[in-house]
Amino acid sequence: MVRFRRAYCGLCHTLGRRCGPAAQCILNYDFTFLAILLSDGEEAACRRGRCAVHPVHGRDYLPPSAALDLAADESVILAYWQLRDGVEDHDWFRGLKYRGLSGILEPAYRRAAAALPDFDGSTRRQLALLAELERERCDSIDRPADAFAVLLREAAGAVDNPVRRRVLEQLLYHLGRWIYLIDAADDLKADAASGNYNPVALRFGLRDGRWTEESRRAFALTLDQSVHMMTTAFELWEFGVWEPILRETLYGTLFRVGRAVLDGDFHKSGRRPPEPSGEKRRGGG
Amino acid sequence: MNDPYQTLGVSENATDEEIKRAYRELARKYHPDNYHDNPLADLAQEKMKEINAAYEEINKRRGGRPVGSQNGGYYGGYQQQYSSSVLQQVRAAIQVGDIGRAEALLANYGDHNAEWNFLKGAVCYRRGFMDEARTYYQTACRMDPANPEYRRTLDIMENRQPYSPNGAPFGTLCGGNPCLSLCCAYTLCNGGFFCC
Repeated sequence: MVRFRRAYCGLCHTLGRRCGPAAQCILNYDFTFLAILLSDGEEAACRRGRCAVHPVHGRDYLPPSAALDLAADESVILAYWQLRDGVEDHDWFRGLKYRGLSGILEPAYRRAAAALPDFDGSTRRQLALLAELERERCDSIDRPADAFAVLLREAAGAVDNPVRRRVLEQLLYHLGRWIYLIDAADDLKADAASGNYNPVALRFGLRDGRWTEESRRAFALTLDQSVHMMTTAFELWEFGVWEPILRETLYGTLFRVGRAVLDGDFHKSGRRPPEPSGEKRRGGG
Repeated sequence: MNDPYQTLGVSENATDEEIKRAYRELARKYHPDNYHDNPLADLAQEKMKEINAAYEEINKRRGGRPVGSQNGGYYGGYQQQYSSSVLQQVRAAIQVGDIGRAEALLANYGDHNAEWNFLKGAVCYRRGFMDEARTYYQTACRMDPANPEYRRTLDIMENRQPYSPNGAPFGTLCGGNPCLSLCCAYTLCNGGFFCC
């Protein structure tokens, strides 16, 4: 966890340096996980510095690197389009918050998009495709999950080493697929109550967001297929100092989260009430 | 050749038993069954070759005879059995990883027989459409229950016990403590970009 925290703080410093203080507000653990995947296996000597959150004692953080720069730019692009999706998906009043936040992030986004035009383009395309599939209430779980998975896979598009790129692309694709599906499963009951689109409910014909034994087993199997594709990719590259964190996540945490979601124990309640109007974009917004 | 001890992750002072155990663990990890139909199977095959060479080299240096290294059987090969030339082309396209071509050929082929469904499943699997892949494999097995290749592929998909460090249970519904260590779970599923 100490090493993970150093990566978290390193990404925060990088966001501030490259994209300005507004961009630091988007920092989260997901983007840190992305930064770790993109990082070299060796950890450079840490720096120590104070910041607005730790003004007295400061914190150790990873020094600037090409991987952190890439992760910072990609994070800004992803966060920006997530906010723009929020604008599109809500009426004028409810969209105000998204409009305001995306406006604040706009200068940072412009800088990041100029640095990574291909990633920016693919993110827009994939989110548009996802929106279309959700609008037409696609009853496949693979197709909308694929739209989000491809979006995440493109985060490895700038990696030079072809073997490493293939490994990361497969890992990120199936991480994106797993995340999209698990999020849909976790939303089953809320979506059943609100009438919002939920591909898992449509695919398995679930009523009131309740699993049948057969659908629960089939869904767990498809999650496990993606975890397997992630672990087999992971084993083909040396992730160096990041290996223990990644190993524990891929061989342990994903299963525990999946089990808790299927058992209904992984509640996100209290963070987001069901939205009566305007469907949230799963995964991306 | 790289240092064979380094390749197996053991020291030069390791006992024969430790070396054998390290070799078996790696062989299990990169075994063809663990990479069946996996788009990265070629990389795993390279790893397996390195591991086998390292194990044989150590055995040679120690004056022993190589103890049954696992050469891995087949790696994602699609053996042609029958059917039309178009479906043969689909198999060939899958074999070389040209999934776009395989998909286009299948889309233009009207007879959705058992072979078509099997190959459609293989294309879906390679693309990451795991749920649809399983459905097509099931259909192929229903249409031609005697076909061992279809049966084996579906069986691997549904019942495979993938490699896991130290043989730990692998799967969302199997074993383990369902109680969450939330510090890690938080990383992926709580309030970040990916699930907001």
